[in-house]
Amino acid sequence: MVFSYNWLKDYVKNLPKPEKLAELLNLYAFEVEEVKRASGDYVLDIDVLPNRAPDCFSHIGIAREVAAITGATFRVPTPEIKEDKDIKTKDLVSVEVKNKQACPRYTAKAVTNVKVGSSPKWLKDRLKVCGLRPINNVVDVANYVMLETGQPLHAFDGEKIEEKKIIVRFAKKNEKIVTLDEEKYDLDENILVITDTRSPVAIAGIKGGKLPEIDSKTKTVILESANFNPRIIRRGSQRLKLKTDASWRFEHGIDPNLTETAIDRAVFLVQKLARGKAAKGLVDIYPQKVLPKRVKLDFDYLERLLGIRIPVWRIKDTLKKLGFKLMDFRNRSVTVEVPTFRRDLSIPEDLIEEIGRIYGYEKIKATLPTVSLIPSKENFNIFWEEATKNILKEAGFTEVYNYSFINEKDKRIFSGKELVEVENPLSAEQKYLRPSLIPNLLKDIQKNQRYFSSIRIFELGKIFRKKESRQLTGVMTGEAFYQLKGIIDLLFHKLGISDIWYDEYKPTPEESKLVIWHPQKCAEIKVGQEEVGFLGEISQKIIDSFDIEKKVVVFDIDFEKLQELSLEETIYQPVSRYPAAVRDLAMLVPRGTKVVTVLNKINAAGGKLIRDIDLFDVYEGEELPEGKKNLAFHIIYQAEDRTLKSEEIDQMHQKIIKTLEKDPAWQIRR
Amino acid sequence: MVKINLKLLKKRAQDEIKRAGDLKLLNEVFKKYLGKKGELTLVLRSLEKLPKAKRVKVGKEANEIKNFLRVQFDQKAAAIKEKAKKEAEEKEWIDITQPGKKPATGHLHPLTQVRRKTEEVFQGLGFTVTEGPEVENEWYNFDALNIPKDHPARDLWDTFYLKGGLLLRTHTTPVDVRYMEKNNPPLRIITIGRCFRHEATDASHESNFYQLDGLMVGKDISVANFKAIIQEFFQRFFGKPVEIRMRPSFFPFTEPSFEVDMTCLVCKGKGCSACQKTGWMEMMGAGMMHPNVFKNSGLSPKNWQGWAFGMGFDRLAMMKYKINDIRLLYSGDLRFLKQF
Repeated sequence: MVFSYNWLKDYVKNLPKPEKLAELLNLYAFEVEEVKRASGDYVLDIDVLPNRAPDCFSHIGIAREVAAITGATFRVPTPEIKEDKDIKTKDLVSVEVKNKQACPRYTAKAVTNVKVGSSPKWLKDRLKVCGLRPINNVVDVANYVMLETGQPLHAFDGEKIEEKKIIVRFAKKNEKIVTLDEEKYDLDENILVITDTRSPVAIAGIKGGKLPEIDSKTKTVILESANFNPRIIRRGSQRLKLKTDASWRFEHGIDPNLTETAIDRAVFLVQKLARGKAAKGLVDIYPQKVLPKRVKLDFDYLERLLGIRIPVWRIKDTLKKLGFKLMDFRNRSVTVEVPTFRRDLSIPEDLIEEIGRIYGYEKIKATLPTVSLIPSKENFNIFWEEATKNILKEAGFTEVYNYSFINEKDKRIFSGKELVEVENPLSAEQKYLRPSLIPNLLKDIQKNQRYFSSIRIFELGKIFRKKESRQLTGVMTGEAFYQLKGIIDLLFHKLGISDIWYDEYKPTPEESKLVIWHPQKCAEIKVGQEEVGFLGEISQKIIDSFDIEKKVVVFDIDFEKLQELSLEETIYQPVSRYPAAVRDLAMLVPRGTKVVTVLNKINAAGGKLIRDIDLFDVYEGEELPEGKKNLAFHIIYQAEDRTLKSEEIDQMHQKIIKTLEKDPAWQIRR
Repeated sequence: MVKINLKLLKKRAQDEIKRAGDLKLLNEVFKKYLGKKGELTLVLRSLEKLPKAKRVKVGKEANEIKNFLRVQFDQKAAAIKEKAKKEAEEKEWIDITQPGKKPATGHLHPLTQVRRKTEEVFQGLGFTVTEGPEVENEWYNFDALNIPKDHPARDLWDTFYLKGGLLLRTHTTPVDVRYMEKNNPPLRIITIGRCFRHEATDASHESNFYQLDGLMVGKDISVANFKAIIQEFFQRFFGKPVEIRMRPSFFPFTEPSFEVDMTCLVCKGKGCSACQKTGWMEMMGAGMMHPNVFKNSGLSPKNWQGWAFGMGFDRLAMMKYKINDIRLLYSGDLRFLKQF
């Protein structure tokens, strides 16, 4: 909010230079965004904290704050109104408040015989500095007093108010109003309005209506200075999408005791600038008077909370400068009466903040706490996340952080029922929370494929379905199924998971419509009987729809399950002291034969003495018979308790060959 | 006769060893003198035919020559090998300016790296690292934190709402409440997590981002303690001596509340364009936990007090690596990510 430097000068003696003033406010009250020169004045753009809006959305409020900081004298002019005994406000206007909760106070006063014209230069200048457009001397006075005191006011042409009656009530369904700026608004039962006996004349606390507008012929001015419920104004303003200087102030809450001060000030100025006679008396509907709060301040608590000892005289002095009354003064405590304009203060901590900031936080010395030596607890979620990231990084994968959202197009590839939809997306890209990390990773590939011939990336992040859970997904470009499978084996091994295997994916009829995976090149990753993830090539259709040029292989792992299975301990397996012997074995098998079937047979025949079987070549080619492939293994034999004799190994090897040859389709190559 | 022969033999052998240019020639010389039918071998074999006195004398001399020659052969052989290695190495010149071959390692995201550093510092100070859900309800995100419905204070947090009534957390502070509900003070925790703000994106704003949140609660945990811990954190994190200052602020869940600034790292406090000539950089919001938040977490504000802070975590990474656009962090751009 912008403030005029000259205006503040009216209230504070020896006001520091603008730059210095900004610095003081910054350190002890509010951030000053900018100090700008403006036609013989300076404009200060002050970020008034939202809890201080009730008193500091006004020049008087800021001036009081400055005076408390600098210790200077602070003075506000008291208006002297000359009332005309023959004219009574209550004859010119009557007020009925239908809902006292929505309008805790309504104050009105009339001024007659006014001469509406343009405002004097000084007034226009101040309004302009503060970003308001001068209109005429009556409206300008209302605005001026708002900027001065923080109380929004409204001026009606008294003769245009039907039956001279003002009613404060909620609007009726289908009621409409045309505002001063000629905009039409449809009202409803949630919006508080000011009406006469015929129709709405203003949207309460938000904007005035066109009907009773002050114009050059206006003779009788009814000034309104009211207090409205912040929540109701806020809701109304949101509903109508209409924010004004008045609504902004009301929705932050204003001291109801301010209406009278403000209306007096306005009447005084209208009299002064538009002549006119002030009618006698005030129409004031104020059923429940707001009284100052009392808060007890304990000095020991203050010291304990701030961690600094402040002399008691400084505490008292600061409280007084802020306009508080001190009572029931004891040795280590005082009761503070907080003026009603400080709606932000109600508990001792609030007072401690006031004292702390004015005294200066810079005076608080950094002191390390004295605490029991309680060691921090290990967070296992983070431990396993970091371990996993390290393994994948070592395997050549780069970590990405993608958005948590997906768009409508991405949605197609998932079954829609589990998706979490965003109520108020900023763009179509944020329509749903991501149910999978895959779509955004595919987009990463699309964006990067121009610059990198091969891409390996992964993300470990939250996905959202019925529940929020962590997912680990990696993608790799090219014909990389077996490479990625090897990486998963490595990952699981390093996480201490041994019984990992791959199962063929058997989609349910419903799932098979979701064509994300290549039907032949995908597998379920299982540990024991539990499925923990999926490995596969992305189907050509999806690849094409993401404009990706290469094949993409993906692993997609439920990280919650993975972590559950992970073990920190690695158990050392003694290395055999006896030599290992290697025998090779090559065989011709039908293309559809699974390596795992062959391996199982070799293992079953060879028993304990086989330490390892290494498939070192798989070949399919023209030289081979149609529909066949060649598998070549190194079989490593080793015993733990002796050196194996050559004959023993040969015997074992022959046994394996015989076992394998039992299948007529398998042919051992010699 | 034998005596003269021996001396001459020694001399001849020495000369031939010296002249032998490679291992093959040297081996021939060896055979000639010390081989099965070598000259010296024959002398030694013929000893037994000599009378005892002579045999002892000649034998001694012949054996001395034999040992001497063996040493000579060995030395020569070593010298030849040495020379051969040297020559071979000289031929094996490489161009050391030719580029090296890098192994294909991956890269961890800068936020992961900064997160590790942050956790390390705070764990060293006895803080436990906690977490909470990204999808939150109104109670934990707002009400429990003393941010009532229909209150302008809620405008400070632009919120993504989900169909069905839940929302995306706008800060990690709800984790403080969740933690206090389940753990009794004294406590020290930090949370680093993904948060969401319903606002347009630009170089310094993102719709999803990370926040670092800290909480310390005890019998007498004060503002002075906050200042010390946070100063310690920044100094260890940036590895430079820095100061912090606090300015008044407002957060519904803390009272008093501060804005926390740190000495500008670029100009060390002198004032530069990076800090708008103030010498300070805005780092975080903080304050003493509001009594209502303790109550909402099931703790009695009469017994406990403490501070909490929250800061944009992306910004910490951006400052550390001099990244000028937050959107790069979520771009998935490998030209960016492979630099870390």
